[in-house]
Amino acid sequence: MNSSALFAQFQSRLSAAGGVAHWAEDLAQAAEIIATHPALAEQRLIIPPAFAACQPWGALLPLLSARGIRLEEATIPERVADAPAGLSCASLAIAETGSVFLADNALAARIVGMLTLTHFVLVSAGQLVPLLDEAATLLQTLTRPGPQQQHYISLVTGPSRTADIERTLTIGVQGPRALCVIVVATPASDPSLSREEVKDRDNEL
Amino acid sequence: MSYKEHAQANQAQTLTSQPGTARPVPAVHDMPPFAERLQRGLEDENMHRALERFAPSWRQSRQALFEATAAEYGSDYSFAALRQRLRAAKDEAIAHQEELVARFKEQATAAGAVVYEARSAEEANRYIYELCRRKGITLVVKSKTMVSEEIELNHYLEERGIKAVETDLGEWVAQLDHERPSHMVMPIIHKTRQQVGEVLSRATGREISRENVAEQVAVIRREHRQAFLTAGMGISGANALIAESGTVMLNTNEGNGRMVTSLPPVHVVLAGYDKLLPTFADAMTQIRLLARSATGQPMTSYTTFITGPDRPGKEVHIVLLDNGRSAMRADPRFKEALRCIRCAACANICPPYQQVGGHAFGYIYSGAIGLVVTPFHHGLEAAAGPQSLCVSCNACETVCPVEIPLPSLILDVRSRVATSEGLPWLKRLIFGVLARPRLFDLLTRLAALGQWPATRGTPYVRYRYLRLFERLPGLRPLVQLTGWRSLPAFALRPLRDRIGDRANLAAARQEGRRSDELTVCYFAGCMTDRLYPEMGEAVIQILERCGLRVVFPRAQHCCGLPALNSGDRQHGVAMAKQTVRMLERALDESGADYIVCASTSCVVTLIQDYLRLFEDLQLQSWLNRTRALAGRIMDFTSFLLRVLVAQQRLPALRRPRSGSAPVVTYHDSCQSCNCLGLRTEARQVIRDVLGLELREMRDSDVCCGFGGSTSIEHPEIAERLLERKLRHAEETGATLLVSDNPGCLMHLRGGVDANGRPLRVLHLAQLVAEYLA
Ligand code: SF4
Ligand code: SF4
Repeated sequence: MNSSALFAQFQSRLSAAGGVAHWAEDLAQAAEIIATHPALAEQRLIIPPAFAACQPWGALLPLLSARGIRLEEATIPERVADAPAGLSCASLAIAETGSVFLADNALAARIVGMLTLTHFVLVSAGQLVPLLDEAATLLQTLTRPGPQQQHYISLVTGPSRTADIERTLTIGVQGPRALCVIVVATPASDPSLSREEVKDRDNEL
Repeated sequence: MSYKEHAQANQAQTLTSQPGTARPVPAVHDMPPFAERLQRGLEDENMHRALERFAPSWRQSRQALFEATAAEYGSDYSFAALRQRLRAAKDEAIAHQEELVARFKEQATAAGAVVYEARSAEEANRYIYELCRRKGITLVVKSKTMVSEEIELNHYLEERGIKAVETDLGEWVAQLDHERPSHMVMPIIHKTRQQVGEVLSRATGREISRENVAEQVAVIRREHRQAFLTAGMGISGANALIAESGTVMLNTNEGNGRMVTSLPPVHVVLAGYDKLLPTFADAMTQIRLLARSATGQPMTSYTTFITGPDRPGKEVHIVLLDNGRSAMRADPRFKEALRCIRCAACANICPPYQQVGGHAFGYIYSGAIGLVVTPFHHGLEAAAGPQSLCVSCNACETVCPVEIPLPSLILDVRSRVATSEGLPWLKRLIFGVLARPRLFDLLTRLAALGQWPATRGTPYVRYRYLRLFERLPGLRPLVQLTGWRSLPAFALRPLRDRIGDRANLAAARQEGRRSDELTVCYFAGCMTDRLYPEMGEAVIQILERCGLRVVFPRAQHCCGLPALNSGDRQHGVAMAKQTVRMLERALDESGADYIVCASTSCVVTLIQDYLRLFEDLQLQSWLNRTRALAGRIMDFTSFLLRVLVAQQRLPALRRPRSGSAPVVTYHDSCQSCNCLGLRTEARQVIRDVLGLELREMRDSDVCCGFGGSTSIEHPEIAERLLERKLRHAEETGATLLVSDNPGCLMHLRGGVDANGRPLRVLHLAQLVAEYLA
């Protein structure tokens, strides 16, 4: 399946789960989507610590700053709780279910997706895969013992929700009220790094 | 003690077929007695409405999701295939539990977690409490875990001065209202928004909207924030323990699960051994089944995989709980229940559950699985009342994503209860009579002669004739049973008196037969024989008009279903043997090709229940004999379509006259659709063979409420299910209500008669017979 068909599938599954998926050709477009989102009305965005050094996404930050957005590194839960917007990056997006795969040992990085009100997730098109089975393979790799072991991994499928009261679906309970996934076709600022290489490199993690 | 020794010690106390040896289980505190829970459940109108509204939409979205996935990804992703895979993975985990535990422990420990194996509820509670005490923890936040309900962890901690706050919305509301969840997935499905608003207002001391759900949901975010930030410990359950990596998998929707497991410095995972799964691939199969089965959503919002602590200073403790599970594992039948993934599909689909809710239909665990596991976790006594609510409709087994044979396990619990508590005298008396063919014959004939005051010569025992007797002590409950459902009269001439030479089995052989001639041995079932001989005559008429030879062994008698269904194995086995012997002989003497029966309840007893029974009692030769017979037995509907129609034996039928032709609606008997898998056959007969208009009623395959003796033991439930069924039938505007099981027909006819409804209720065979030219 080509990536646009895969994206269409991902998008429809995610929207069924109450989330939104966008396609961006490059980081500039991704920055545009984030900066013009209503959640950025206060021009404040929480980012995980050390995001600047994170390849290939770090290059997005100057683009956001250039639009006047204040970037705040997440520290302790008290400061992140109910912040209007936060940004993370995912290792996979799964078309079958509309899920994104988030792996982060650092609590400060995870609270971005736990406590902010609108959660933006970046993922490269090369990491968009058809089936959950690929998540199983990556889980196996990432949980292997050793210094690289990932202790806390989440498949996130839409914003937090409940239907506990009279089966009435309510979006936004303890976690984010909105989830916005941006699939970026060519995230690398260095265009010589093709999509496939990005995928291979990430899988080696 | 090693784990193996623990397991053996537990096995020694196995809840086996000798009841009374069940472990003494401490009573759950504050649990009202069954009768009280039942009464409350029956009276709770809001709850019925909620459950009845949820059921159809859940069924629809669940089915649509499974069908869509299969259409998109192929049959490997169909419900049947997924459930087969998960079942296999779970069975492997159960069979190799020791190795899996060892692997899980090794991996989790290497990742920095502490694994503790608790044999009992007390051990698990004490471990968690000691941990709090050692670390000076006084506030604990929890995400939803059924195991903590099972061991009453909150109560244990609170008695010792530790505050435990439920952070799942439904669980929290239940906790504030001092209640238990009534459903494993939707804990407060029994509460209205008004009630929730009241509970929240009381708890917060602020006025919270009684109508606006969004406002109510917003309360929890505010109220819990502080608890999350200050709690010393987070407690969660686990949806799976993945052995290959020592990973805990958690499925949640609200987002509280990730906070409970991330924010406090200590995370305790509380999980039964039954949560073990070999690999991540198996976990994906479980994910594909869980949310769809539970709520009809494709996937939960958050699926979290935790492999040891994520940061220095953080602790992860995994408490593996036995509490009756190794006894279950040691039982060849009940070990299947360990496959359960707690999706609650078996509650969602259950008709009596919808009428009484999970507080009555279960104990701590509710729904069909609750009836099955309660004896192991909370003692046989705790299951005694709830198990009596099951009408054996078998719907739960069709939706269970791990194919647990729930209805037959419930019957096993029932027979254990019957053995330990004894059957009520009336049942004992009835089954005693049923098991004695001659006495039964005599008594039914006497009843037919003596019933006049109750029937006034009509085919019904009616309330209006019986009203006079209502004042006689002892008769009152019996009389009242006819208030909402007239009972059938005994036939003055049972079917066995109307069969002429068909009882001469040997004649069929002697007279020589054409090569293409078929001989059918007709097994009528006692209801048809004694109550509805005209149904039997219709069957015989059709078979003979198709050119078949019909023999009717006069030695036939009740198959034993009523006794087996009530847990009376002693009489049940005797009647099963009697029936097998009789049928063998009949085949032998007559050379019949098929045994045909127009009662699907009897067919299921003959070809499914006997096998289980003999297997269970290790009666190998009877098992083999029954297997040999089972291949020759066919229900009338299938026989009509697959033999008579398929082989073009059916004679030309009268075409219905347009304009005056009746409109038909069809009720799927539970045994027909859930046990025999018949869903299209009868419809084909009505539409294609007879050319009649068929209008589908809502929920055509939901139980009519007869459920054997349940309709006597719990008439309120039977009455409500019947009322729904007849309402749905009437809504179609049909004039004929057709089914292929005499038990349902009796129940439906009685309801139609008692309320003077404008419906004719017929057996499919009677309908077909009317169109024989
Ligand atoms: S067999 Fe029917 S009544 Fe019994 S538990 Fe299952 S669904 Fe409920
Ligand atoms: S028994 Fe089956 S249907 Fe019932 S909760 Fe367990 S897995 Fe679900």
